[in-house]
Amino acid sequence: MSKESFLTRKAAVKTVKWHQFGDGSAEASDVVPCDRLPVDTRARIVGRRAAVAVVVLAQLLLIARGYWSDHKQFAFQMFPESSTWRADVVRVTDGDQRVPVSEPWSGYRWEDLVTSRGLQTPWVRHHADAGVDNQLAFLTAALQWVADHTPRDHETRYLEATVTYWHNLDAPKTVVLRSHDRIGPP
Amino acid sequence: MTTLDVAPGRAGLLARVDELLGRRVSMRSLALLRIVAGPLVLLHLRPFVVDAAHGRIYRDAFYQPYVSWYPDLPRSLYIALLWIGAAAAIAMSAGLWTRLTTVTTFAVVAYNFFLSTTHFHNNRAYLFIVLAVLAVAPCGRELSIDAWARSRRGLPPLDPTAPGWPLWLLRFEASAIYGASGLSKLLDPDWFGGAVSWDRLVQSKDKLTATPLPGWVVSALTDRTVHVYAAKLVVLTELFIAIGLWWRGTRYVAVWVAVCFHLSIEASADVEVFSYLAIAALVIWAVPSTRDRMLGMDLSAAGQRWLATTVRRLDWLARFRVEETRSGPVRVVDRDGRVFRGGPAVVFVLSRLPLTAWFTLPVLLLLRAAATRRERPSLRGQDR
Repeated sequence: MSKESFLTRKAAVKTVKWHQFGDGSAEASDVVPCDRLPVDTRARIVGRRAAVAVVVLAQLLLIARGYWSDHKQFAFQMFPESSTWRADVVRVTDGDQRVPVSEPWSGYRWEDLVTSRGLQTPWVRHHADAGVDNQLAFLTAALQWVADHTPRDHETRYLEATVTYWHNLDAPKTVVLRSHDRIGPP
Repeated sequence: MTTLDVAPGRAGLLARVDELLGRRVSMRSLALLRIVAGPLVLLHLRPFVVDAAHGRIYRDAFYQPYVSWYPDLPRSLYIALLWIGAAAAIAMSAGLWTRLTTVTTFAVVAYNFFLSTTHFHNNRAYLFIVLAVLAVAPCGRELSIDAWARSRRGLPPLDPTAPGWPLWLLRFEASAIYGASGLSKLLDPDWFGGAVSWDRLVQSKDKLTATPLPGWVVSALTDRTVHVYAAKLVVLTELFIAIGLWWRGTRYVAVWVAVCFHLSIEASADVEVFSYLAIAALVIWAVPSTRDRMLGMDLSAAGQRWLATTVRRLDWLARFRVEETRSGPVRVVDRDGRVFRGGPAVVFVLSRLPLTAWFTLPVLLLLRAAATRRERPSLRGQDR
C-alpha cells in the first residue's frame, strides 16, 4: 500500500468513527426528517410567532422593571453600585431590652438563620452586590423570616435593624427597618 | 412551509418573520453548547448538593418565595431532585436520551432557581435561559450518544437542521444581557462618570496590593482619572458586544472582545458560572450551516496532515469540508467563493475553530490589512 493511500484510508476511517456521533457532514438526502408533520401548520406558525413575541416582550419588560424595582430579576444590571452598608440588628424584647443578634439566643444564631445575600454578618460593613435598595429589601425580608422562624424564642417582640449605607460616593444615610410584632407563644 | 393568510399590508413583514423563525438551520452550535452546559449545571448545583449532603437545604435558613403557592417538596424528595438534576446534566452533556435529559435538567434548575428570591443571580438567570432554549431545540441529533447509537444500529442520521427560532431567541437573549448591562451603566451618572468602578477598586485596594501586580499598576487602577475614561470604555464595550454580534462585519471583533471582557471579569470578580457560560454561548453566533467551506489539503505533506488532524479534532462547529488534493499548498474556498492559499489559508482555518479563533483572529486581521495595502489578490477574493 502506498503511503498516500494509507493516509487517505486512515483519515477516512477516523471520519467514519467521528461521523457516528454526527459530524454535520450528512447530506440532506441521507438524513431522516424528524418533524412529525412535513409542513408547518397554521397552529405551529402562530405558536412559534407567539412564543418568540412573549419571550422578547417579557425580557424587555424585565429589563425596564430593573430601573424601579428593588429586585432586578432578569434585568441584567451587572455590578450596579459600589455602595456599602452595615447594620446593627437587635432583638427588642418584651421588657424593651435591645439585644444584638450577634449574641446567640434561645439556641439560635443569626449566622445560621441568615446565610445568603451577604446578610450573615450585617454588623460588618459589606458591599451591596446588587445595590442598596436590593440589600435593604433582603434585610427587611430576613428580619421578617427570623421573626417567624424562631419558635423557641419567647421573649423577642420584634427585630430591628439600624442600617447605615453609603450609596456610591454619597454621604452615609441611616434607615431603621423592623419586623412585624411576633405572635406570642401558644 | 406554509404561510398564513393575512392582510396584504402585513403579509410582507409577517411572512418574513415567519420565514425567519421557521427557516431550517443547523443546530450544531446548540449541540456544542449543550455539551458545555452540562458541567456548568454541575458547578451551579454543587453548593446546593453539598449543603444537602450536610443536612441543610434552602428552607433551613432565610429564604423568600416569589409566590406563596410555589410548591415546596418534602426534604428527601428535594435532595433527590438535585441529584436527578446532576445526573440529567451529565447525560445531557453526553447526549444520552438528549431531549428527555435536557428537559429534566432545565426543569430541575428552573424549579430550584424559582424557589427563592435569594437564589437569583444574573449568571443563574443566563443559565436558566440557555437551558430553556436547549430544552426546546433539537440539539441531540449531533455530537451525542444518541446519534452514535443510531449509527450503530445502522439507521440513517436524523436531520441535524431545525427551525431556527430557538437559536434566534438565544441570540436575542445573549445580546440583551450585554445591552441591558451596558445601558444601565450608561444611564447611571455615577457609573458612566467612573465613580462606581473607582470606588470599588479603592475598597479592594488591600486585596490588589496583595496580588503580584506591580505597584504602578495598582496605582493606576486606583487612580480616579483613569476610571473617568475606563468606565466609558466598559460601557462602550458592553454596548459594542450587544450590537456588534448581530453584523457579520463586526461579529468576529465582538466575539474577540467578549472573550477578553469575560476573562477580565473572571479574574476580578466572583461571578459563579457566568464567564464560562457567556464564552461558551458565543458559539451561537456562528453562521448556522455546516461543511460549507472547502478545505483542500495534500495529505502526503506532513504539515498539511497536521492541519487535517487539527481540523478533524477541533472543528466542533463543522465549518469545513475536508477534501484531499494531489499537491500544492493548503487551499480554502470560503462560502462566498473567496479562495485562500498557503499561510493565509491556514490562519483562516484556525480563525474558524472555536479553540484557536481567539488567538488567530488578530493575525488574520493583520494579514488582511497587509493584503489590502499590498493588494494581494489571494486575500482579496480576486481569484474567485
